[in-house]
This record gives sequence, structure tokens and C-alpha cells, in this order.
Amino acid sequence: MSEASGVATSAAQRTESDRLVKHGRIRALLHRPEIGAFAGMAFILIFLAIVAGNVVYNPLGIKNNHGIISQLGIISIGACLLMIAGEFDLSIGSMIGFSGMCMALMLKWGLPFGLGEATPMAAFFITLALTLTIGWLIGTIVVRSGLSSFIVTLGFLFVLRGSTEVGFRTFNQGSTQISGLPDFKQTDWFAYLFGGDAFKWVFDLLFSFGWNVNRSGDQWVPGLDAKVGWWIIIALAAYFVLSRTKLGNWIYATGDNKEAARANGVPVNQVKIGLFMFTAFCATIFAASQVFDTNTADAAKGNLKELEAIAAAVVGGAILTGGFGTVVGVIFGAVIFGLVQNSVFYISWIDGSYYRVFLGSVLLVAAFTNENIRKRITGGI
Amino acid sequence: MTDKEPVIRVENLCKKFGPFTALNGVNLAIQAGEVHALLGDNGAGKSTLIKILSGVLQPTDGTIFVDGVPTNFRSPRDASAAGIGTVYQDLALSQLSSVTRNFFLGREITIGSGPFGVMKIKEMDRITHDEMQKIGIDISDPTQSVGTMSGGQRQTLAIARAIYFGARVLILDEPTSALGQKQQMEVLKTIRRVRGLGNIAIILITHNEIHSQLVADRYTFLSLGEVIGTGAKDELESRDIRRLMAGGADIADLAEELAKV
Ligand SMILES: Nc1ncnc2c1ncn2[C@@H]1O[C@H](COP(=O)(O)OP(=O)(O)OP(=O)(O)O)[C@@H](O)[C@H]1O
Ligand SMILES: [Mg+2]
Repeated sequence: MSEASGVATSAAQRTESDRLVKHGRIRALLHRPEIGAFAGMAFILIFLAIVAGNVVYNPLGIKNNHGIISQLGIISIGACLLMIAGEFDLSIGSMIGFSGMCMALMLKWGLPFGLGEATPMAAFFITLALTLTIGWLIGTIVVRSGLSSFIVTLGFLFVLRGSTEVGFRTFNQGSTQISGLPDFKQTDWFAYLFGGDAFKWVFDLLFSFGWNVNRSGDQWVPGLDAKVGWWIIIALAAYFVLSRTKLGNWIYATGDNKEAARANGVPVNQVKIGLFMFTAFCATIFAASQVFDTNTADAAKGNLKELEAIAAAVVGGAILTGGFGTVVGVIFGAVIFGLVQNSVFYISWIDGSYYRVFLGSVLLVAAFTNENIRKRITGGI
Repeated sequence: MTDKEPVIRVENLCKKFGPFTALNGVNLAIQAGEVHALLGDNGAGKSTLIKILSGVLQPTDGTIFVDGVPTNFRSPRDASAAGIGTVYQDLALSQLSSVTRNFFLGREITIGSGPFGVMKIKEMDRITHDEMQKIGIDISDPTQSVGTMSGGQRQTLAIARAIYFGARVLILDEPTSALGQKQQMEVLKTIRRVRGLGNIAIILITHNEIHSQLVADRYTFLSLGEVIGTGAKDELESRDIRRLMAGGADIADLAEELAKV
């Protein structure tokens, strides 16, 4: 009798807050959704140091790795935000080819309608206006028609790739590539923003410490590619928007429960359209950094990039049904894929095609992990 | 109590869906500080009535008075501006987001306006915690995802949110229907506490006779789109309630009907 009443009072005195065990900082860190991606990245970094440290971590290796990583990083942030809002963009790769074509055509043959020479700035902003409009169009079609964005953007994957080839043949004397553009980054500050160097001071410092030296005793690598800077800026902005602003809250809510978001006054359609425009923006930045770095463009640029971007977003915790994912995770995802893609070519005893095997396997592991996290949060539905 | 001006009064409310009359001249008065149970069989028109009150549907005929002033709700936004907060059956919550982010969804407290306004997360966390506690649930961690909360806690979250954002009339459409016994009790307690605040009117739709007897102060019975009975708790006997809930049919009749099958 006394035993029974003892149980009853202790149950009555317990409150809801007693049921959640408070963990320390480290436990909380280990429970973050990005921890898997972080572990994967750490593993790759250590593995490469052991098997090919001398080529992967020398100044040139670092520059090249960062180039590949940041390219993928830029578009995967766009893909990730869109996936959090519950949509998909398969047209990113074709958009890269398309905007590269627009810029290169203008730089080579002048502005449309015979308006004279195109400066790098004019070529970039006219292209951006065009790609943002296409992004807006894709978004509008998706929200108005209610069709799955998978199908709509698959349509644009083909339309844009085809238009790129047609555009080249029509305006470039039948050739689907442009090479040997003037080296604008030497003469034009705007072109330098995309094709020039970033973090030169770090490499100057390394040179003064006697590490960044080539065979003739001069400074070896001047700096990282400018696109690394763009990646960092876009990542910081996306992180801030997603975690701190009203819009970030709307993006998560839109992907999680569209009707709930709408009932609470969130402009769901505008959020989605805006994010389709953001992926178009990311693709345009990708293309600009390629055009102004290499002074070339061709119709096949960006092929399959949309799938790598989506894979990196999945490693970043994004789930196909939306409402979940983080920028920090997608940064780790881009580092993992970029690093491996670039490094396997340095390592003679690994066939470069293992990159795809690796990408596919990591994607599956990440997808399983995300699904488990989602089930844990929603109680297994 | 009854001679006070009702917060919401509807007069001769009609709603037709094409040839089908869902509501046929409904009259209703809702007082502050009261729980008003809206009862009736499936298809009686309860959801239609509250959809009109929350601005989702427009009436074919009739008038809604808010504080005695005839009012037209053209959209849910109009209704919530007039202080009518509706807690739908699906609760309009996003499961993967935190309690705080849900509480303030669409009405975030920000520095700077526009979509890029920066959320004051600390303040939002504190308000969420305090408002939930006021109606009886002590969530330990406002950053926990809604998906990890119990059904009763979610209902409380939706109610706390509606009240905090100025609801004077709270409409609850079958808030206990999908819950287990203990969580049903939790929701009933929440309703009690909200009633205790004194200035909020609650419209409660339920099919559960016991629940309505536990918390309601006044009843209105709908059947086939018309009011077939209304009254305060002390004026009605539970036998009447059961009969009216079944649309006016006597239980004996039901037994007879069953026997015929
Ligand atoms: N949009 C509509 N078009 C046509 N008929 C409708 C529409 N909405 C409701 N009805 C009809 O109006 C009647 C009342 O429906 P309502 O949803 O209000 O019932 P209810 O009392 O809420 O029932 P329940 O207890 O099952 O929730 C039903 O016969 C329903 O079929
Ligand atoms: Mg109903």
C-alpha cells in the first residue's frame, strides 16, 4: 500500500522537463546532423595525407583541390537550399553550360543587336539577368502547375543544353566551343573578381617561410582561385539566412509542411521561386569563374554537375522530402567529393573512375543516415 | 453572464454548396470566458460553420457580428485579425522544425523587416517557453523538434500560439479525436486553463459526449445543417445531450434500427 502510493507521488511530481536528459557540449556536438559528413571528411583528409600527402598537400595540390571543391560547393549550396524547401533542380548543369555560352559569345562577338563591344561586367550582368529570368520561369511553372520539380527541371535540363548547342552553332560560326578569349583577368578588375586569385597573402606568407617555392627559386603558386572566395561568401550568406533570418524559417517550413506554412502566412510560392532563382545564380557564378579563369567555353560544360550538387546536398543532410539539411553539412559534402574527385588523379595506383564508385557509395550511406535521423525526429513515420 | 454582448454572434447563417444546403439559418452566440461545445452527427455542418467563422468559406446568407459589429471575413487573415484563432485538426505544424520556429512561424520577431530580418532567437525561445507554461506544459527545450512532442503537447503548442497572437475566440476542431486517453486529458486540462484566463471564448467541436460534459459551459446541437437545441450546462441533462448529439433520435430508436439490420 505504502509502496504503491510512493510510486504515485513520485510520478506526479515529475515534470516534462525531467524527461529530457541534458547533455554536455560534446554530446550535443556528437548529436548534430553534420557529424557523419564531418567524420567522412576527416577520414578522407587523413587517408590522402598517408597515401599521397606530398602531392595532395603541396601548394599546387592545395590550389587545385580548392578549385574543384569550391566549384562543386557553390552549386551544391543552391541545390541544398532548394531541397530544404522541398524542391529539386536538375537543370543546374545545363544552366552552367548555358550561361558560360552567353558570356563567352558576348565577349567574343560583342553585345547582342550590334550594341558594340561587351565588357566582362556587361557580359556577366546580361547573362545573370537571363539566367535569373529562366530560374524564375522554372519556379513559376513548378508552383503554378503543381507538377513535380523533378519533371519540370528535367525538361529544362534538355531545353537548356540543346539551346546552348544551337546558340553556339548559330552565333559562333558553327563551332560549339570558344577558346582563346583575351585574358580579361589581367586587364579588367571585374574579370579578376571571377578569374583572378584569392588569399594571395597566405601564399605570399608561405613563400616567405620558404615552402611555396618552385625549382627556379621563385614563388610557386600565387594564390587560390577566386571562386574559393565566392564559395566562402555564398556559404556564409546561406548559413546566415538559413539559421538566423525569417526567410530561413520560411524555407524550412515550406519544405516540411507546405500547407502549415501557408496557413501561417508564409509566402510559400515566392520562397520556392526565389530559390529556383538562387540555384540559377549559383550556376551563373560557377560559369563566370570558369570563363574568366580559362578564357574558354564549350557546350558540354557543367554536364552532370546537377547530380553531383544534389549528392553533396544529401551528404549535407538534405532529404528529398524537404524540411531538413544544413549549410555546414553541405560544405563538408563538397569537400569530400571535390577532394576525392581531384586527388584520385594524383594517385597512380588508383583508377580515376573509382571516384564515381566512391560518390555513389557515400551518397547511399548518407541517404540512409538522413532517413534514420528523420525517423528519430518524427517518431518513425 | 448571458446579458453581456457576445464576442461572436451569428444570425441566420446559410451555406449552400450548389444545390446542397450545408447550413440552413444557424444562430449562435459565443461568450468570453466560456467553453461552447458544438455537437452533432457526421455531416451536420460543424466544420462548415467554423470554416465560415475562420474566414475559409464565405456564407451564402446571414451575418457574423464581432462585438456586436456586423463583419465580413473575406479570408482567414481577416478572421485572425478580428481575433479568431482556429486550431485545425492537422494543427498546421512542421514536424522537423523546433518548437520556437513553429510558434513564431510567419510572425517571427526580427531586427529589421522583410524576409532578411534577423530573428531574435533568444527572445523567441523565452516567450515560447513562458507561453506554453502558462497553459500548463513545461517544455524543457524550445529548440527540440515538434516531431518529438506528444500529440497533446502539439495541440497545446497550437493553442498557445493562437492565444499569444491575439486570439479572443479559439476554435478547436475535434482536438482530442486522434489522441490516447492520457493525452486527451492533457488537452482537456489545457482547455480548462485557457478558460481560466477569463477573456477567451472557446468553441469546441467534439464527438465525445464525456469530454463535452467535462469542460463545456454551453451546448449547441446541429443536425442536417440546423440548430436543434442549445442551452447552458445546468439546463441540460446528459440524456438530452446524448439524444441531441445523435441528431434528435432517441437511443431506443437507434436500438430498433440496429435490430432491423
Ligand atoms: N465543399 C463542399 N462541397 C459540397 N458539399 C460539402 C462541402 N463541404 C462540406 N459539404 C457537405 O456539407 C455537409 C456538412 O459537412 P461538415 O464537414 O460541415 O460536417 P461535420 O459536421 O463537420 O461532420 P464531421 O463530424 O464528420 O466532421 C456534409 O454533408 C458535406 O458532405
Ligand atoms: Mg468536421
